[in-house]
Amino acid sequence: MPDWKIAIIKVVFIWCWTLIVAVIMTWVERRGAAMIQDRLGPNRAGPFGLLQPLADGIKLFTKEDIVPARAQKYLFTLGPVMFALPAFSAYAVMPFGDKITLGGKEIILQISDVSIGILYVVALGSIAVYGMIIGGWSSNNKFSILGGLRSTAQLISYEVPWGLAILAAVMLYGTFSMREVSLAQQGTFLGFLPNWGIFKQPLGFILFIVAAYCEANRVPFDLPEAESEIVAGYHTAYGSMRLGLYLFGEYINLYTLSAIIVTLYFGSWHLPYVDMSTFLGPISYGIATFLVFFLKVAFFLWLFVWVRWTVPRFRYDQVMGLGWKTLIPIGLFNLFITALFIQLSI
Amino acid sequence: MDLIFWFFAFMAVSAGLLTITAKDPLPCALSLMSVFIAFSGLYLHLHAPLMAIFQVTIYAGAILVLVLFVMMLLTTPGERLKSIQKNVPFRIMGAQLGLCLTALLGFGMKGISDLVVQARLPDGFGHPSSFGTLFFKDYLLHFEVASVLLLVALVGSIYLGKKSL
Repeated sequence: MPDWKIAIIKVVFIWCWTLIVAVIMTWVERRGAAMIQDRLGPNRAGPFGLLQPLADGIKLFTKEDIVPARAQKYLFTLGPVMFALPAFSAYAVMPFGDKITLGGKEIILQISDVSIGILYVVALGSIAVYGMIIGGWSSNNKFSILGGLRSTAQLISYEVPWGLAILAAVMLYGTFSMREVSLAQQGTFLGFLPNWGIFKQPLGFILFIVAAYCEANRVPFDLPEAESEIVAGYHTAYGSMRLGLYLFGEYINLYTLSAIIVTLYFGSWHLPYVDMSTFLGPISYGIATFLVFFLKVAFFLWLFVWVRWTVPRFRYDQVMGLGWKTLIPIGLFNLFITALFIQLSI
Repeated sequence: MDLIFWFFAFMAVSAGLLTITAKDPLPCALSLMSVFIAFSGLYLHLHAPLMAIFQVTIYAGAILVLVLFVMMLLTTPGERLKSIQKNVPFRIMGAQLGLCLTALLGFGMKGISDLVVQARLPDGFGHPSSFGTLFFKDYLLHFEVASVLLLVALVGSIYLGKKSL
């Protein structure tokens, strides 16, 4: 099989997989919320309500597509697209397993192993805010503009600690390539801990996950769409599938962020203490690494849902204060400590 | 004919034109973003992926978002930037700057014959590690000078912003 065919198969596979996970996440979110709030949640469509996402999709697609009379039409259409596009593109550099050997040919389970993988994801994360800005501005009402305004301020504030956490991790691994980061986490650390990023960068991990919640606009940082203050924020005026694209983009963002967390801090596809490549065949090893990676991602996806229905929302000034006065100093301190350790150990 | 170059060059120039002719602030900012993305494509084409990513992250992702934040605070949708556009001194200054820039471009045209020279790239060109080596070995002083300059700007803006220190 030529290389371009393999590449196309990988792209189509990960595209479909991401879509399926996002669809299932809408179900997990609603059932999880119900579980935490001690009620039943959607349970009518299919077994355990599993067909609920399908019903939601049909509803969103068949609803009348309304554009407000005072809205700026082209920008209004562009908004959801600009939000979902970066979310989908991030998967080009994300690993989803180690490698699979088919007919003597080694295929890495990653669409493209570029030398600037982590930076590429950061760049896409910083572009994603345009979807919210365009949506908020073009809807032409006060609540939407306030939502867009909040999302810009939030992104600028939390991009800095996010970047500082990633910088410390990059210093530790010495590479921007996601695959090399994953490979570097094999074996044990200090003889008894798995050689995972979280044990070397505990502070960096906390910083990263707090900033990741902010990047994903999830509770406790969902100020741009705080329903008790500004109706639904930047997507107040959106309905039908345009709104669907916004919601869908959010779940794909969650998947991407969970995958980065797993790659940088939780050993990617490695199991602790066990080297799977020694006793599994070439094909089953590929599948096993994919499953291990996905299970770890699934845990963080669940954590996003868990936190959303457990923690109350911050006040706006608390969000800004936390970002600038707490996270950035901690990030700089973490960077300094990491640099000191690297210098001392070399 | 380098099709990729022409594509991104055309995109950059047309988006740049749109930036200065758009009446509403947001399309204006979005076309500026397109300029940055076109530049980033050009950098990628020149085998400088790190520069391309920095272009997107820093300019499109941080600076332009900051500009948009200020814009959304001060104006409302549909409001035209009349006061600035009708300001005659601004227009005269802009015309002078534009003339200077055109003249500079004209002088730059003299070097256009160098564009077609095929250069052989050294090994590992554009890789983050080679970029880092150059940055922290050969050009460290320039970098530090620039950072001091930024610090001065920071102190200055805080001094201007605070009424009492």
